[in-house]
Amino acid sequence: MKDVKYRWNTLCLYDYRGVEEHLSAMAARGWRLEKAGNSLWKYRRAKPASLRYAVTYNAGASQFNPGPTEGQESLEELCAAAGWEKVSDWAQAQIFSTGDPSAVPLETDEALRLENIHRSMRKNFLPANIALLAIGLLMASSLVYSLVSGHVLRLFESNAHLLSGTMFLFVALLEAYTLFHYYGWRRRSRRSIEESGSCFPINTRAYQRLNRTGLFLVGFLLTAYLLAELFSGNRGMALFYVVYLTLFVLLVFLVRRTTLQLRKWKASKGVNMAVTLAVDVVLAFALVGGLTFGAIRFGWFSGGSGETYTYQNVHFDVHPREDLPLTLSDLTGKNYRHIHRERRREGSFLLSKWSCREMVLENSREENVWPGSLHLSYTVYVPRFQWVYGNVVDELLGDAAPRPSYGMAYAYLPEDPAPWGAGEVYRLWRESEPSNSWLLCFPGRVVSLSMDWEPTAAEKALVQSRLEPEA
Amino acid sequence: MARERFQTLTEPMFYILLSLREECCGTDIMARVSALTHGRVDLGPGTLYNLLDSFQQAEMIRETSVSGRKRSYLITNKGRETLRMEYRRLLALTEDYKACVGEEEPL
Repeated sequence: MKDVKYRWNTLCLYDYRGVEEHLSAMAARGWRLEKAGNSLWKYRRAKPASLRYAVTYNAGASQFNPGPTEGQESLEELCAAAGWEKVSDWAQAQIFSTGDPSAVPLETDEALRLENIHRSMRKNFLPANIALLAIGLLMASSLVYSLVSGHVLRLFESNAHLLSGTMFLFVALLEAYTLFHYYGWRRRSRRSIEESGSCFPINTRAYQRLNRTGLFLVGFLLTAYLLAELFSGNRGMALFYVVYLTLFVLLVFLVRRTTLQLRKWKASKGVNMAVTLAVDVVLAFALVGGLTFGAIRFGWFSGGSGETYTYQNVHFDVHPREDLPLTLSDLTGKNYRHIHRERRREGSFLLSKWSCREMVLENSREENVWPGSLHLSYTVYVPRFQWVYGNVVDELLGDAAPRPSYGMAYAYLPEDPAPWGAGEVYRLWRESEPSNSWLLCFPGRVVSLSMDWEPTAAEKALVQSRLEPEA
Repeated sequence: MARERFQTLTEPMFYILLSLREECCGTDIMARVSALTHGRVDLGPGTLYNLLDSFQQAEMIRETSVSGRKRSYLITNKGRETLRMEYRRLLALTEDYKACVGEEEPL
């Protein structure tokens, strides 16, 4: 039988009544609180007992202090004299217990209690929640802008954009609610103290339910993102994400260990905070930088084939990849010595997207002729739902809308789709000059194509046969 | 802020200052308040700690000695003045009551 158990804490820091009732109930069931961590609370088995718990707040308490402050020691001394024994700190909350049913309550002036709670909340609860709200709003702003403005392609073409935006929007809403809840409780408590003499009671169960729902949704979104990347075929991104989460947990653990170790070494609060922050920043940079470098180094995101060589100051593939559905050799019928090919897969559960790029050196076999490069690139969008198709076409056409800052007007103009075998075809015009870029609308798929020359009818037919959906 | 806050005193504030006319520590204050009021006013240790801290910041009391975790305090002139003003205020309330209701009028 286990003598120790851990529970994920979902109580609210200023819900002192909820904490007291919860701990008394646990003690009656034979579990005494041993240590209240930021998230995990540790309980030890003991004989079931009728214990009273009480919470008071000390704004000077901090996890960075080398030990109890003079103020905390004075408070503990006073509490001990009144029959209360210190159990644990929880941020600024100081948790005490007593077996004496007649012991004087820790707090006998509710107005003072409320004032003291607010002073403590201003230490880290409010700044942390306001910072998270700001980060959530900032990171979700792209999602909100896309939804409001209708520019949804950037969202649809990446699970990361879609789900991270949703996640941060959710975080912002949760933080806004948390702050709203605190200030609402404080306002009602002031009124309640004037009328009945005590702080306004918090619906502990409802708050805990909301907290648990929030945690569940975060877990659900993280899992959904991983599954969406795997479902979309982005194994590199899924691997990056799993390694990132693992390293993030390790980072949190190491930062926490740093604080605890410095406390053991009796480092001052200022030194502990400075070193912990420095370790946090260095590890965060190492995590993001190292992981990104590793992902690039090992080709998790790269569409290239790996090993390259340099010729005429340009990188070419030692072994060009063979999985491009359409290549320059297919179109021109020539073989090239120097080739660089890329293929990237992106997309979300709403839209599959893959892009291919190829660059070759032409005339490279003729020693006395300066070789010229030849390019081909195409991006294929495959909406998974019909309603997404219209958004994709509208937005790609809109992307070419005149931009005064470029000093040049671009526009997609319709042209005869028959040679391409497509339902609709648009060609990109720069001012009054046609460019060699097209938007080909096949049933169920849209292709954005760019090449260095005007294709012949036979080449257009080849494009259709290679890039239109399989029958 | 602190000056405004102590323009009038709550019962715990009043009795803490009254107790500190003589040097004493926190546990002594709790015992004195209980004895002075015959148990009518309960002074919780959390409330006492916070009030001692606030009084010190407002320079109404001063710390006189520290022995281990035990700290002793004594009222300052400013604290005495605040206490005197509160006493006068309470007297004025009593006089007003007598003027309106009479000396022996039961509540």
